[in-house]
Amino acid sequence: MSVSGDSMRDELLPSESKRKQSFWETLTNERNFKWTLLIPLLAILGVMLFYPLIYCIGNALQEYSLGETSTFIGFDNYRYILHDAKFWIALGRTFQILVICVSVELALGLGIALLFSREFKGQNAVRGLCLLPLLVMPLAMSMEWNFILQYDFGLMNQIITWLGGDKIDWWMPGRALYTVCAITIWQWLPFSIFVLVAGLRGLPKGPFEAARVDGASGWFTFRKLTLPMLTPLIMIIVVLRTMWLIRLFDPLYGTTHGGAGTETLDYLTWRVGFTYFDIGQGSAIAMLSLFLTIVLCAVMFRVLMKSLGVIK
Amino acid sequence: MRKRIGSGAFWVVVVVVLLVLVFPIFWIYLTSFKPPEYVYSLDPGRLFAFGPTLANYEFLFAEKPLFVRAFINTAVIATISTGFVMVVSLPAAYSFARWNTGAGNLLFITISTRMFPPVIAAIPFFVLFRSMHLMDTHVALILLYLYFNMSFATFLLFGFFREIPVELEQAARVDGYGLWDIFRRIIFPLIRPGAAITAVFCFVFAWNEFLYAFLFTSRVARTLPLEISAFWGALSIQWGPMAAAVGLGILPTLIIAWFMQRYIIRGLTFGAVKG
Repeated sequence: MSVSGDSMRDELLPSESKRKQSFWETLTNERNFKWTLLIPLLAILGVMLFYPLIYCIGNALQEYSLGETSTFIGFDNYRYILHDAKFWIALGRTFQILVICVSVELALGLGIALLFSREFKGQNAVRGLCLLPLLVMPLAMSMEWNFILQYDFGLMNQIITWLGGDKIDWWMPGRALYTVCAITIWQWLPFSIFVLVAGLRGLPKGPFEAARVDGASGWFTFRKLTLPMLTPLIMIIVVLRTMWLIRLFDPLYGTTHGGAGTETLDYLTWRVGFTYFDIGQGSAIAMLSLFLTIVLCAVMFRVLMKSLGVIK
Repeated sequence: MRKRIGSGAFWVVVVVVLLVLVFPIFWIYLTSFKPPEYVYSLDPGRLFAFGPTLANYEFLFAEKPLFVRAFINTAVIATISTGFVMVVSLPAAYSFARWNTGAGNLLFITISTRMFPPVIAAIPFFVLFRSMHLMDTHVALILLYLYFNMSFATFLLFGFFREIPVELEQAARVDGYGLWDIFRRIIFPLIRPGAAITAVFCFVFAWNEFLYAFLFTSRVARTLPLEISAFWGALSIQWGPMAAAVGLGILPTLIIAWFMQRYIIRGLTFGAVKG
């Protein structure tokens, strides 16, 4: 039946249904309408997803510096970068950031979420305030952290000296990476908190009541009941944060500019592609980074699906 | 007795958490109103007790006239790109939600555009936009933000559309309502909150975005994050005016956050809770 309520008309005038449909009618009939709705999206996807991808793959196989002509060199870009220590160090740093940030965000987030999951007075105001780090401009906030963690007159060091300690050089090579981790953890902790609070509040009361009646300790309940039930949400947080942490850029640019031992894989890609303008090499690193992202996310997606019981 | 201690400890933790999360933002505004000597001062007494002054803001507007321009640019780009995102994503999300078009694979591809590190797409776009003379234009950023927000918006709206019961639409069909009428009377009112949340997220993302603005603009279409990052280049960073700039730059998002917080939190946790 056509969607515009023409059902009566079709029966009265059978000859009508035999004429060719107009273009608009073809687009909006039952079968095609759902695709019509997708036309803008697909058009943009086609241009802006597949074009860069194919172009990038092609570029990675060329020796191409911006402004010069490109020459085909096969896998030389890959060969070069895979033998370059810079690459492996940057890769290691990316993993470091991943592991540190995700585990701290989960641990702290879960702890705070357990606290916030109960109803309490003023909870709306508290939630509203907790939201702020997520929405603040990351770059601006990173530069502000530069100020707060400044060695001479930054707030943190001032507080430390009042408490009787020594000033800390937060941006020292070797320590700077952890400082950057702390900055991004600060920003994204509310994300874990909110997701986990929502999850905790959605848990069924029954099993917990039963456990209490049976006299189970708090820790036991947590381990055997809460955690397993929260696993899907935890995995979602892990997958999303991993995706976002691999491409961490704003805090790096706003604080150390990639120096002081904080260069990650994506930062290296940017540096090679946009400061040296070695498009070929940069594309190769980008492809490797993409490969890493896909592999990591695919693995975690599988774990997530398993925990949801979708696949065994 | 035990309950009171427990409750006391609870509030201590809440206050500590709030302090850690909110104080740095508060510190920005505090610093922006301090006279220059107080900004660099190590005297604990001077941390909070000072005569507020607008000197930093005056300095900002005097020395960095591009700031206002950047503010306007950012507002324009964020608004227009969000508008386009909604136009593209609303129908697409409806299609995915009602008919599962593309059997889930298409939806996955759409969402996966968010997975890609932006630097990967940056290089081809950079070369392309250069050749099309789109560098340093508002159009370039609008297109790029459209692309990046589209997948997220589609995903979020997909979830919201799923919440609308199909029966409502089917009943309207049986009653003989046309497509457009169904949309106007039934779907639109129900999707409005969800669409509002999505639009807010897209706007905030476009407002805060740095990397692409950094790569694709220089003078004409400069956005706020870029203007703020320019403070880095100076010989000695002027922390006071920078705090003023940062304070103004994040103000719109803070205001939006405060008014829309209930909806934003719902949007954040939406997909998560439903699994």
